[in-house]
Amino acid sequence: MQSALAELETTYFTLQSQIGPLLAACQTQAQRDALTTQYVAARSAYWSCVNKAFHDDDPAVIALTTQLDAANDQLKKAVQELGNIKTTIDNITQVVTIGASLAAKVIAV
Amino acid sequence: MTNFPIAIPRAWRRTIAASVLLSCLFFAGGCKTSDDAAAAATQLTATAKSLTDYYSALDTILAETDQLNEVQVVLYEIPYDTPTKAMIADTRAEIQKREALAKGLTDLAQSFAKLTGSTASTDASASAAKLETEVESLKPIKFKMSSEEQNGMKIAIGLVVTAIQEHKEREAARGISQFATALDGFFAKEALDYESIGKDYAVISSSLAKSLLQNGQTDPSGYFKVTLDPYGLIPEVTDTKLRGKLEKLAEGQVDQKAQALQDSQKSATDDMEKSLKQMSDRIKLVADDKPMEVRIPPVTLANVEKWASEFSTLIP
Repeated sequence: MQSALAELETTYFTLQSQIGPLLAACQTQAQRDALTTQYVAARSAYWSCVNKAFHDDDPAVIALTTQLDAANDQLKKAVQELGNIKTTIDNITQVVTIGASLAAKVIAV
Repeated sequence: MTNFPIAIPRAWRRTIAASVLLSCLFFAGGCKTSDDAAAAATQLTATAKSLTDYYSALDTILAETDQLNEVQVVLYEIPYDTPTKAMIADTRAEIQKREALAKGLTDLAQSFAKLTGSTASTDASASAAKLETEVESLKPIKFKMSSEEQNGMKIAIGLVVTAIQEHKEREAARGISQFATALDGFFAKEALDYESIGKDYAVISSSLAKSLLQNGQTDPSGYFKVTLDPYGLIPEVTDTKLRGKLEKLAEGQVDQKAQALQDSQKSATDDMEKSLKQMSDRIKLVADDKPMEVRIPPVTLANVEKWASEFSTLIP
């Protein structure tokens, strides 16, 4: 299993490396706004964790890290294929939400 | 000329011979420790300098990352939120504290080197006074380490100061060894964070570079400089098809460079960790009065310096 930092890194870096094509695929301003909101949340979760000490041994952190690991696999696939942008943004939202919970847990431990 | 041999009783001769032999052994032994201690001090100075440069490079990377996030606002209209900006600034402040700590270690190593090379007690007193000031300056630093580790480091520095004041190089070496071991453990614990900071820089800068390339916002004609420079000609690519080809080529180069940045930092981090471990082991030999065979600084430091120098020309 990857560490909490590695998982948050994957979410944020996957979005970061593809942000140009993702924004270009957006058809409405609402989609662009939703995407940038998720990007900002992913970046914030990542920096929260870089800025704090890690406690990967906490059971709640381990459970969330495993969940985020599986979600990250789906995210990579969705961003690579870039099919329906609405589905992709939904996918991103789901992954970033888990990431934000993980970051909050790591900071709280 | 007549010789007048001095008659010395056999027992006296034996006593004198034994004394001379003992004195030789004593001085030889003393010189050996001093030699090893001086070599260890020089090597420690080089290692601490590389550690300072490593942290200085990380500081530059963080400053660049902050600017890259600002560029994203202009290029993609992605807001650079105040909390994230503050977290990056705070991380930078933490890295600067580590850089100050590494500088403190460099000074400490230099004081130790002076102690091993001098016989005058005034030199040792001056070194000790300087070290005490350094210890004081290190106190307010808030490390991301357990209080046990932090106390261990403080006790070690205190031990070094006392030992230098009393001109006891082996005791000073023991203190430095304790300090270096704690620092090595601390560095190893944070190594993944350091690498992650570098990865973020590589990912965000390459993503922005490729976006500018794909949107035709760069001049790729520089690629032909090598062809035209010898003849004093300046490249100017106007053909759209050729520009497209060059942009594709440049995209590949951006990807390669981004990967190389991550690989070189990983390698430098591993080498820094190895060097700190080697130094800690070598100083322990001096502290334990065992011979220190290696006379050159850890070879892995060259790789750290090479990586750090890549970031010395960027913005401070």
